[in-house]
Amino acid sequence: MEDGNEEREKLTLVARKPCFGLPTACPTCLPVYVYLRFAHLPLNLEFNLIHPDSDQIPFVESGNYVAYNNERGGVIWSLKEDGIVDLDSDVRGIPEWVSTKAMVESWLADAVMYELWVGSDGKSAYKIYYSDLPWPIGKILYLKQVRAVKQLLGITSENAERREEEIYRRSTSAYGALSSRLGEESFFFENRPTSLDAVVLGHVLFTLHALPETSLLRSKLLDHTNLVKFAESHKAEYIDANSSASVPESDPSTSASRRGPSQWSSKPKSKPKREKTEEEKKFRRRTKYFLVTQLVAVLVFLSLLGGSNDAEVELEDDDDALNYD
Amino acid sequence: MEDGNEEREKLTLVARKPCFGLPTACPTCLPVYVYLRFAHLPLKLEFNLIHPDSDQIPFVESGNYVAYNNERGGVIWSLKEDGIVDLDSDVRGIPEWVSTKAMVESWLADAVMYELWVGSDGKSAYKIYYSDLPWPIGKILYLKQVRAVKQLLGITSENAERREEEIYRRSTSAYGALSSRLGEESFFFENRPTSLDAVVLGHVLFTLHALPETSLLRSKLLDHTNLVKFAESHKAEYIDANSSASVPESDPSTSASRRGPSQWSSKPKSKPKREKTEEEKKFRRRTKYFLVTQLVAVLVFLSLLGGSNDAEVELEDDDDALNYD
Repeated sequence: MEDGNEEREKLTLVARKPCFGLPTACPTCLPVYVYLRFAHLPLNLEFNLIHPDSDQIPFVESGNYVAYNNERGGVIWSLKEDGIVDLDSDVRGIPEWVSTKAMVESWLADAVMYELWVGSDGKSAYKIYYSDLPWPIGKILYLKQVRAVKQLLGITSENAERREEEIYRRSTSAYGALSSRLGEESFFFENRPTSLDAVVLGHVLFTLHALPETSLLRSKLLDHTNLVKFAESHKAEYIDANSSASVPESDPSTSASRRGPSQWSSKPKSKPKREKTEEEKKFRRRTKYFLVTQLVAVLVFLSLLGGSNDAEVELEDDDDALNYD
Repeated sequence: MEDGNEEREKLTLVARKPCFGLPTACPTCLPVYVYLRFAHLPLKLEFNLIHPDSDQIPFVESGNYVAYNNERGGVIWSLKEDGIVDLDSDVRGIPEWVSTKAMVESWLADAVMYELWVGSDGKSAYKIYYSDLPWPIGKILYLKQVRAVKQLLGITSENAERREEEIYRRSTSAYGALSSRLGEESFFFENRPTSLDAVVLGHVLFTLHALPETSLLRSKLLDHTNLVKFAESHKAEYIDANSSASVPESDPSTSASRRGPSQWSSKPKSKPKREKTEEEKKFRRRTKYFLVTQLVAVLVFLSLLGGSNDAEVELEDDDDALNYD
């Protein structure tokens, strides 16, 4: 792709489908979308509904070029490395830019992952990843992912409470640091958008719109009004202005795009843990019944096998008896 | 614990044993030790050899007070929270201090974990955690921990190479940011030691002394001479000056405490992957043999059971035959 070539091919971003008033509801796809919007590039947004749980999504295509989510350093990294779109050339040497990106990509990413898969009833995760799959398959994939996330976050039954406290404590620190760093500026560094702004904007929009009102993470975020303003004003300028019919507000009750910061409500109540634990218990009980049934079947088979041996013996006796008559 | 109480009880830190010329060789214990040294508190250092793989270590005791590694936010967090030792009161509101701490505790901690358990032959890990346990137990615990670390780092056979590249790429960024942030100063913030300095010092000393010379992480660190100087000068002032006989230089070939930065050598060569995979393959083969033997035993038992049924049948026949004679 030559510089100065006016007929540059349009970039196509393939992401997970929109929801919650967001152009794409997936927390991995959203920062990529924002990054490309920040770059003011002509962009095609397409959705993949067939393999919504695939690790390759999101990916960016342009002619023969493609950058997948699960290759090399991910999409944004590949776009920078391959010279397609690099917004970070001025900031990558700034230590605070590097450490802030690390903090967002570790502590805040962990917090979202926790809330999506472990700390909530899973409805948001289901909507984003599995709503287009038949129920049994979606349910199995969901439970598989819950288990994978617990392993990634190092959560066991012994340390579950402590890890949860640690995850929320770190997100509180991270939000405080981001809020202090941003102040009243429009961007975090050099008054220009970088991939850090894209990642933060993606995180904030996702947390505000896609997580339920009972979300603890969401309520912590709402404590920092400058972060909420940052998200709302950039959403209006970069996202809503560009989307014509491609962002269907599929859920009118969460038509948040016109809501100002003063209208955000936060009702964090104690998480519906009973419901979740009850579902898990139900599933475990069903699994136990299944295994017990299998065991009973095996025992019945063995006893029948023993019984048929006796039957054969009796037949032989009769034969012998006949012989001696 | 009252302020102004001159007869304050000494703090006791129970850590894993020393090695590699370090007062304690364990990467979790070392930052706690450094933090307490920074605080200029009278400190007793003790070692636990009975349960070297326990998650409670390190812990700090003082009279009735105890702060365990695996409770609440860990030892340093508990010491700060409970008012025992707080070096961070001036800095915890500084966004860059928070984000730098996040970067070190995520990206650099991951890199050390990777190198200790996955990316090397495991000799360092064995020395630190399992050298006091009988060989079979140590070996089993080691393999268990390797598996746990892979889960924590999200490493699978499909993405192993990509994750390794990502881990090293992030550590390179982190070292660059730390080096830029530190410059020629003695401490990272406010010219005073904080828990961030303790964590960085612990990391750097561990990486320089406990990891082998072929370690890629170690060679990346050596690129930043100011970080090496930071570690060496603080080690001389806070660690070597205080340790009389309690730091036996058990391995004379790595008597690094007197070595100046100019004498550090780095020979990163391609990791001995063949050796590691061969060991794993041996272990898997042995497990397969064991399972096959078990299966054969079960089959033999079942066939004997079938055979004994036939033997009983023949006895009954003889009885019948006798009756008819």
